[in-house]
Amino acid sequence: MDRGDSKARFANVVIPHLDDAYSLARWVTGNRADAEDVVQEACLRAFRGIGGFTGGNGRAWVLTIVRNAAYDWLRKNRPPAVVHVDDLEAVERMRSADDAAPAPDNPEAALIARADEVKLEAAIASLPAIFRETLVLRDVQGLDYREIATITDVPIGTVMSRLARARRRVIEMLGAHG
Amino acid sequence: MTENDLLLLNAYIDGELDPAHVLEFEQRLAEDRALADERARIEALRGAMRERLPRATASPELRRRVAALARPFAIDWGARRRGLGAMAASIAVAFAVGSAATYLAIRGDREEPELLVSSHMRALMASQPVEVASSDRHTVKPWFNGKLPQSPRVIDLAAQGFPLAGGRIDVISLTPAPTLVYRARQHVISLTALPVSLRSRGPIRPIDGYNVVEWTDGTLAYWAVSDLAAPELENFAKAFRAGDAEP
Repeated sequence: MDRGDSKARFANVVIPHLDDAYSLARWVTGNRADAEDVVQEACLRAFRGIGGFTGGNGRAWVLTIVRNAAYDWLRKNRPPAVVHVDDLEAVERMRSADDAAPAPDNPEAALIARADEVKLEAAIASLPAIFRETLVLRDVQGLDYREIATITDVPIGTVMSRLARARRRVIEMLGAHG
Repeated sequence: MTENDLLLLNAYIDGELDPAHVLEFEQRLAEDRALADERARIEALRGAMRERLPRATASPELRRRVAALARPFAIDWGARRRGLGAMAASIAVAFAVGSAATYLAIRGDREEPELLVSSHMRALMASQPVEVASSDRHTVKPWFNGKLPQSPRVIDLAAQGFPLAGGRIDVISLTPAPTLVYRARQHVISLTALPVSLRSRGPIRPIDGYNVVEWTDGTLAYWAVSDLAAPELENFAKAFRAGDAEP
């Protein structure tokens, strides 16, 4: 692919998804300045890799790169926030044990519906990164399970359990501190 | 409510439950109070997220910086790449003896085969030819994910006599490229995936005793380098092409 093609493809494939890219980066890194750095790095990678884009879902392709760049950033800047692949199962088991506890009797849906922006953001921000990204990709960015599975490189079953657990925890937090 | 109920409920709310199960699940929702309550809580959470969390938008400054990448008069990485590629080739000539240098002088077109053979040789001289050592493709494939925009097809060829040894990242013509490492008896095969723009132009001759085979699946150009005999390396290429990447 020559240079002109690369630029045209980059403009067509990547730039339309810049807001989504930034949004995901902001949720993973937790702040604007770092999110901008992550997006810029991701766009450079996307630009270099555009020849390898096979067509199809451009948004999922861009978000995969953003997600990888964001995790590289987390590893470098906040290693404890990153759960390594080997630890995932342990985390999932841990969460699973939590979920086995009976749900609180009275976290009223109305209470959750009234939760203000600050509480909501804080609750989501307190989730471990892999649960947070799954929840954000689904409920903020509106991607379907298959796309989320592609972006986070896990089976759909894992997306389902992460999403269910992420929602359950946020509901518990909003219910308990409401 | 079991954990499985919770998964089904979430999938139902997200419209991901297949039609055959939707009716059945709705019936359960109508009968199971706890399930219906949880549904209300999840819907409330989704509604709150939709309404209260402002969609983040890229700042004009970020937009400008990214758009600059795609403008015709931005830094020409292509020219830099060609320049550095030529430099890399001349370094290779300086250090190579005999055949490699001769081929460069004769062919004068693409430097990828030489660069791939160089990477393969350097990998063999390192204590390990791989950065991630595993015969399990489910370990090797995710390893690439954090490092490259796309991870390559990883195929298990142990049954065909080519067990997977692991993977590494090579940089070919300034393009970071995933390289899978397979073994064939005592020999090592480096299989590098490059953009199709870096595919070969015509037959590739052996370089310094290493055979090079290239093919493309339309998406990527695959380059295999090894000191295996040419027909055996062709067999490896055939097995990989015929292989199924899905579990």
